[in-house]
Amino acid sequence: MRRVSKSFGHVQALIDVDLDVAPGEVMGLLGDNGAGKSTLIKILSGVYHADEGEFTRDSNPVDIGGPSDAQALGIATVYQDLALVETRAVAHNIYLGREPRRWGILSRRKMEKDAQELLTNLNINLPSVKVDAEVLSGGQRQAVAISRALAQGGDILLLDEPTAALGVEQTEQVHQLVGSMRDQGKSIILITHDLSDVLKVADRIVVLRQGRLWADARAADTDLNQIIGWITGALPSRLPAEEAQT
Amino acid sequence: MSARLAVLNDPGAWVKNLFKNRDWTIPGLILTLAALMIFFGAMSEFFWSFSNFLNIGRSISIRGIIAIGLTIVLISGGLDLSIAAVAAAAGMVAAMLIDGGMNGILAGLIGMAAAMVLGAVNGSVIVGLRINPIIATLATLLLFRGMAYVVSGGDSVVIGVNTWAYLGRGTLFRVPVAMLVMLGIMAAGILFMRYSVLGNYMYAIGGNSEACRNVGMKVDRIRFGTYVATALLSGIAGIILMSQGGTAQPAALLGAELDIFTSVLLGGVALTGGRGSLFGTLLGLFIVGVIINGFILIGLQIYWQDVARGVILILAVALDSIRRGGGYR
Repeated sequence: MRRVSKSFGHVQALIDVDLDVAPGEVMGLLGDNGAGKSTLIKILSGVYHADEGEFTRDSNPVDIGGPSDAQALGIATVYQDLALVETRAVAHNIYLGREPRRWGILSRRKMEKDAQELLTNLNINLPSVKVDAEVLSGGQRQAVAISRALAQGGDILLLDEPTAALGVEQTEQVHQLVGSMRDQGKSIILITHDLSDVLKVADRIVVLRQGRLWADARAADTDLNQIIGWITGALPSRLPAEEAQT
Repeated sequence: MSARLAVLNDPGAWVKNLFKNRDWTIPGLILTLAALMIFFGAMSEFFWSFSNFLNIGRSISIRGIIAIGLTIVLISGGLDLSIAAVAAAAGMVAAMLIDGGMNGILAGLIGMAAAMVLGAVNGSVIVGLRINPIIATLATLLLFRGMAYVVSGGDSVVIGVNTWAYLGRGTLFRVPVAMLVMLGIMAAGILFMRYSVLGNYMYAIGGNSEACRNVGMKVDRIRFGTYVATALLSGIAGIILMSQGGTAQPAALLGAELDIFTSVLLGGVALTGGRGSLFGTLLGLFIVGVIINGFILIGLQIYWQDVARGVILILAVALDSIRRGGGYR
């Protein structure tokens, strides 16, 4: 995406943000509250429409006019807490909005079989795809939400705070899942507050600050203190590793 | 990911899972209904007679048709208090057209179409203006009911036997046609909600509309549709009611909302949306119908019916909050 901006009334949520993500890359997207992370995610997933800016996919210009456009482009979003329909079974959640069907009739068998296959492939172990999402643990829910993103044919995954509500072990499970998706060549944009975690899983760190792109570095070239400095804006000012691009 | 192991390691877990993962609403309702029927059967020799069952069926058929609509709206995460008012208005429209000399069938169809327009008003106010459905339909309840009074001048419109009388008063093999209509729509609705993609979407939207919006579901359009569909069902009920008595009254079904809500909530439909089933609603209708019928048979003073209705409504709402594992906070 190039020079993307979005404002709400007088508030400029995003100002001229440039961002690229490569296949098989895990990008940690960081920033303080209100830095524009959520806005960015919502623009990429088609929930918001950018005021300005352009998008390219495989160097073709594209337009993201709504959630279905984003889906068609292979962009799938996993929201932090709004992801699952608690009252519905796992299989329903995985195929939400894209259920296999014939003449308007839900193909429940096929949906359950496909869901089970998908979970098995991702090494996710659930009691059954027929249980309601509300009986699952936090880690299992997140796994279901991520499975949905993959089931929707996503190869660019936006994960919004996937581990925010999880315990240590469950967080580890989600990180393994992120790792195995990277190995399958998916691009993953990971939004998180947990800085030590992001250094473990991400290949690249991008920091937004007050709606602007503030820093962009390889995870291996940076450390916790530097990232905190970028996020707060206190220590170093802008540190882009992307002069070559602009 | 260790869920399966956890189940294996905890010897009591399968019992817990049995209760946690299984929905006991429907078996519980069937047991309740059976217990009531045994009780009233013991109290009155007339209870277990074919004609008494037809009485019960007749008593719940019109409310039942409206309850189908309410169930669908509630499952989709909405609410409609104007259901009975829409039925009264639709009956009034049809009766006045017939009274003015219009072909009966056409007048009935126009009555149903008018109901759909009222449903569209509900849908527009709730979905379009984003007004809380309780407030919105409380307002339209007054509005629709008030309009029925205004156009009729507050009087009943008597049309006598009409082309729709068969629906209201006819029988097929001794079974009231109105009851068959209700059961037919109920069966179609059960299949629709369970097997159609759209029915499944309604459950999903009631469970988490934001998640549905995020995957690109046409949430607003579907919600709007549920209000129109509900109003159509209310309209059908209104036409049947009008044809039953050969008269349309502006006060028809006044207060019936409460009974209908009682049956639907008792049947396991959650006020918070996403949960419940039309089969549960059917059982809820029968339970309320059997209780009222039983009270009459054992000769309780008529006012006890209202007491019973109040108690059942409280029970139904309490069950709803217990099922959700919490309550009003």
